[in-house]
Amino acid sequence: MPPVLDMRDVSKSFGGTMALSSFSLQLEPGRIHALVGENGAGKSTLIKVMTGIHQADTGEILVNGQPVTFRGTADAQRAGIAAIYQEPMVFPDLSVAENIFISHQNRTQLINWAALNDEAAAMIARLGVTLDPRRAAAELTLAEQQTVEIARAISLNVRVLVMDEPSASLSDHEVQRLFGIARSLRDQGVAVLYISHRLEEIFALADTVTVMRDGRHISTNPVEKVTQGSMIAEMVGRDMTNRFARETSNDTGQVLLNVSDMARTGVFRDVSFSVNKGEIVCFSGLVGARRTDVGLALFGVQPADSGRIEIAGQPVTIKTPAQAQALGIAYVSEDRRKLGLALTEGITPNITLAMLPKYSGPFGWLDRLRELADAQGFRDRLNIKAANLSIPVGTLSGGNQQKVMLAKWLNTRPRLLIVDEPTRGIDVGAKAEVHQILRALAADGVAIIIISSDLPEVLALADRILVMREGRIVGAFAGEDATDEAVMSLAVAAPAALVQVA
Amino acid sequence: MRVPIATLRILVLLGVFAATVLFFASQIDGYLNARLFNRISGSVAVIALIAVGQAFVVLTRNIDLSIGSIVGCTAYFTGGILIAWPDMPPALVPLLAMAIGASFGALNGLLVARFQLPSIIVTLATLAIFRSILVQSSDGSSITTDRLPLWLTEFATRNALTLGDLQIRWIVVVSILVVLAAHVFLTRFRAGRTFFAVGSNPDAAAFAGLNAARTIFLAFVISGALAGLAGFMFLARFGNITVVAGLGLELKSVGAVVVGGVNIFGGSGNVLGVLIGAALIDLIDTSLVRWDLVSEFWREAVLGLLILLAVAVDTTVMRRILRRKPAGGGQ
Repeated sequence: MPPVLDMRDVSKSFGGTMALSSFSLQLEPGRIHALVGENGAGKSTLIKVMTGIHQADTGEILVNGQPVTFRGTADAQRAGIAAIYQEPMVFPDLSVAENIFISHQNRTQLINWAALNDEAAAMIARLGVTLDPRRAAAELTLAEQQTVEIARAISLNVRVLVMDEPSASLSDHEVQRLFGIARSLRDQGVAVLYISHRLEEIFALADTVTVMRDGRHISTNPVEKVTQGSMIAEMVGRDMTNRFARETSNDTGQVLLNVSDMARTGVFRDVSFSVNKGEIVCFSGLVGARRTDVGLALFGVQPADSGRIEIAGQPVTIKTPAQAQALGIAYVSEDRRKLGLALTEGITPNITLAMLPKYSGPFGWLDRLRELADAQGFRDRLNIKAANLSIPVGTLSGGNQQKVMLAKWLNTRPRLLIVDEPTRGIDVGAKAEVHQILRALAADGVAIIIISSDLPEVLALADRILVMREGRIVGAFAGEDATDEAVMSLAVAAPAALVQVA
Repeated sequence: MRVPIATLRILVLLGVFAATVLFFASQIDGYLNARLFNRISGSVAVIALIAVGQAFVVLTRNIDLSIGSIVGCTAYFTGGILIAWPDMPPALVPLLAMAIGASFGALNGLLVARFQLPSIIVTLATLAIFRSILVQSSDGSSITTDRLPLWLTEFATRNALTLGDLQIRWIVVVSILVVLAAHVFLTRFRAGRTFFAVGSNPDAAAFAGLNAARTIFLAFVISGALAGLAGFMFLARFGNITVVAGLGLELKSVGAVVVGGVNIFGGSGNVLGVLIGAALIDLIDTSLVRWDLVSEFWREAVLGLLILLAVAVDTTVMRRILRRKPAGGGQ
């Protein structure tokens, strides 16, 4: 069968980062092609190039043997390529039928509702599902909204359908129905590109598997020729010489934080662990494993519903960030720009923001010289590169923004520091510096929790690694014993294997 | 040595102000004289007060459109109380006006901060409601100069000092003191810092343990109180209070705030700039009346253009500053 979509040596970079490098992929009609790779392997970029959201820097894309250029999603849609995502993109106030036909620009302006609803019902029936086309999309379950999105794609005569983590938020029963839809599309001659972190799904569904890593194509094989083990090895198989060096642990063995049976309904459950003074504990796992939610619960942003938290042996309640701060907890959030920094403000007020009482005298008069002195101290200690301390932090590089964030929370003199993705989007030099800062803090006796999707980082820093999957801790490793493959196979393990480990 | 953005902005504003004065001086005979200063400084005193109040609200990512109605209401009610109790100690009267204004502001603040309603809708509604209260109340009796105590109307023209022909009135001094106090509060006090933090990044403020709702409530109360003080000055200057008192001040106050360099999306700005913005707007407003080439009916349009220009420049500058995207690609 000739491929319906043929990508040849496609490259795409952002700034200095190669997100896709000479990537080639052929999708054949009537086949389900699975794509797997770690967080950050370049899967999202690939989909965005395929669907016209991003434009490739170099390389060729051919549809049915004809070279094409997509200037936007409309071009890709005309060529018969569409994608659906984990979070369905529907118009909540519009009906199912309206949602399906929203992209049909060339229909008449006068709507024949009866005909439209009938057509929509027929479209949905082709997927082997029943759904009232008059219902508002907001009333539908996530799985039903996904069905609406797929129906919309079919109504546009889609020949290539990309499904990006479609099963991540679905129940088992809904996943089975989704598989049914994917198979019926395949039988109708559609090429399906199926992306999932759940490796077991690939064996149940796919005909062919492609593994990608660091923006590169690693392998493409018929599903019969691969095993979970071989896929994992290819997903993580980095050049080990590239691994960050480990240093000796500062773990004092004195427990600072002890969490037992912490849960938040529908998010995470059975979370039990402890962190010692001077110990670095890393939470590893895939995106969506709910690691960040555990951090946010400990900082009181989204408090847990149940469970016990003890700090230095004392049971505590944490319902607000202010309470968490008073207990000596600091949280450096993953999303600097959204949750962490006041971008229009200078470096000094950002660093002192969480500690204003420290700088205020009678009636709240701020001691600006002391603020400046502390900010200068952090600038020297963390090597923050900036022309002066009053320039807006929004103008700094990612690495320097991250250092300002760290400074802001170190200024609260925490006993427990939670850092979410400490080095995402910053360059290698700044990354090494941030690691050094975190190690120095541990040496000072601070208990540190790092949430990171960067496995080499985790392996270099962690005294202990806790692996989360679907809202639960599914395993633990001592830092020096852990390997990429061991951590990754726990993070992607099949539910059956998960029960045995837990 | 680079000049900080905030300082640069004030210097640019001063330059624009000077250029505007020179422009009108070249167009209008006998323009530059003491009378111009005396006339403009009095009305700037009123506008600067409400503009500073508006600045507190805009800093927190909100807007107060009801400010003109609050000025009208406080002017009317303060006048009514003074007519009923003419022997009230003069020092109490401005405080009373501020309390009346603050209670109107507290209603706005409650609806916005506590019930999380959008401020543009809340204050659009209270703009109409407060105005209707004024119309209803003034139905029977209206406030006229001859019924007010003499000290009040004299206060409006009392000079704090005279330099040659230049008369610096007490209301101007009070207004400048308020601006300076607001400036010191915003830049040197802990409570002031939270206004910037809440407006700049509400989520980060919550992470830092700051109370955003309380800060927003406070902004509306301050805005109301300063509108109340402006209402008192309004009463002193004009004496006759009709139902249209303070009409259109919301436009002028928002204009002064954005021309003065407060980011309309919250989080950055300087009330010294707002003072210059208020002066610039009033200067143009007053001068257009005397400029033969352009009909005075264009005054509103010029104000509108000025606001558009200021917001466009500010947005472009801010976008350039914050343009950098986080490095790194997708997954």
